[in-house]
Amino acid sequence: MISPTSFAYVADLLRRETAMLCEPGKEYLVEARLLPLARSAGQPDVDSYVALLGRDPSERAKAIDALTINETSWFRDLAPYQAFTEAMLPPLLEARAHVKHLEIWSAACSSGQEAYSLTMLLKENLPPGWTARIHATDVSTSMLERVRAGRYSQVEMNRGMPAQRLVTWFTRAGNEWEVSPELRSMVTTQHLNLAAPFPPMPVFDIVFLRNVLIYFDVDTKRDILRRVSSRISPDGYLLLGSSETTLDLDDAWTREAAGRVWMHRPRGASPTDSAGSLAATTARATAGVARSIAPALSQTGA
Amino acid sequence: MHALIIDDSKTMRSILRRIVTELGFETTEAGNGQEALDVLEAGLVPDICLIDWNMPLMDGYTFVTRVRADDRWRNVTLMMVTTESEHGQIVRALAAGAHEYVIKPFTPDAIIEKMELLGLVAQEVPA
Amino acid sequence: MTVTLEPSLGDVHAVVEEVWSSFLGAEEPILPLATPMPPGGWSAAITVSGGWDAQITVNLTDGAAQAVTSTMLMCPVEDCADEDLRDALGELVNMVGGNVKSLMAGSAVLSLPLVGHGDISPGSHLVEVCRLELTWRGEPVVVTVHQPPTADPS
Repeated sequence: MISPTSFAYVADLLRRETAMLCEPGKEYLVEARLLPLARSAGQPDVDSYVALLGRDPSERAKAIDALTINETSWFRDLAPYQAFTEAMLPPLLEARAHVKHLEIWSAACSSGQEAYSLTMLLKENLPPGWTARIHATDVSTSMLERVRAGRYSQVEMNRGMPAQRLVTWFTRAGNEWEVSPELRSMVTTQHLNLAAPFPPMPVFDIVFLRNVLIYFDVDTKRDILRRVSSRISPDGYLLLGSSETTLDLDDAWTREAAGRVWMHRPRGASPTDSAGSLAATTARATAGVARSIAPALSQTGA
Repeated sequence: MHALIIDDSKTMRSILRRIVTELGFETTEAGNGQEALDVLEAGLVPDICLIDWNMPLMDGYTFVTRVRADDRWRNVTLMMVTTESEHGQIVRALAAGAHEYVIKPFTPDAIIEKMELLGLVAQEVPA
Repeated sequence: MTVTLEPSLGDVHAVVEEVWSSFLGAEEPILPLATPMPPGGWSAAITVSGGWDAQITVNLTDGAAQAVTSTMLMCPVEDCADEDLRDALGELVNMVGGNVKSLMAGSAVLSLPLVGHGDISPGSHLVEVCRLELTWRGEPVVVTVHQPPTADPS
């Protein structure tokens, strides 16, 4: 098993490069993720591989990718995607009827399964004449390259991709499957570290920020949510992972149930008088452009 | 819930049996399409069949067409689990009436997620 | 006319890695290292015919064959009978062969696997076009693809 010194080095590396937490107790995970890389690099064990990381930037990048990649599947957990088509799209199709366009952010997009799952649902549900863009961002540039390539291994395709959508939207490319150019043209990519100030970005109608907040400490989580609220339209939606919540973190949000998932929504037009409404005010100010075209919130509820 | 596992490899049947048993299914096994049809004729109506393609006596594709042609088994879900992985083969199996398709090799998660897609396994309810 | 190409070494390697990582443990990856293959051991072969004609063969030592079987069947090595080895190795080459088949254009049919002690010699009209020498748990694993000599396209 990995030594305490090596583990501390890896935890520190992750924290510096991605602000993600790697706490004691995760030794097994680190060992399991780094052992294959150690073997490929010709190192006898993880400790000697970690020693190599200090002097080899390309191995360092590989190690960070291996440690931050989540096993991901298409239409992961299903319910959020059901909420997307059944609860979020209908009101947005009404509200954006004059622009006939939706902007969606897939934050911490990893290898792109979430982004492309959304493009398939959009293709199936957008009325004629509408367009949509999925903005896929990640801290890992190699993951972004994978999203742009849109190629997935057999094993990845098996994870949750309905067979009918597989044959509709993918073709074989050697040992892999390649997503159709039509879907690829709907996805743009951008390098983005959630823990750092955001680069210029559009205002989004829907933000998927799933299963990534869990890796950050409370202060960073709070800060990320505050900055996300400034990039989301007043009648937009934020989806978090099933174990994640904005509650107790940021007063700028309310939530609505859609089946088994919570949709988080900017508190928007009717902010509460609590001290924490500063963030909400900032959000409304920044989202001003989109706001002028958005109807008053009708579904946010009392 | 009951799963009929159809594969000529005992090894593959045991891998699939371990996965679906974990999901709470009872299982019956058949070594080829003909044996599986015999099991159905004998009165078993499983919730799902997990079907290999290449098998002796009767292949999985033929089994799917036979099951789909008989009204007694209209509610049985059919999922191919096979090494056949050309685009055209998947299209053929779906056209013949297979509901889902898993390509070998797979991880247990792949089987579980497909069963969730098919509504045969309830997803974990978040706390 | 159609020129039948051969599968690329990289694609075949990716197929073998996927089979190994799915069923034989991601923590003991199969490594791209050649280890000398002692005589004896096991062979598992499968043939492809139709749009592409080929034989795909996996050669393993007794130790690796037993480890494959015991891992896939989740039973102790001493409980694995020869019959179990034949079945597990047959499924192994079926997965490798089926996925290698789909690398090639045109429709082709996969045979049932053939497993035996010692070498399974490919048909005399076939030549080796792809050879992967790998190591798993310190034991050699060799995957080969044989096909008819590529005809001169002219």
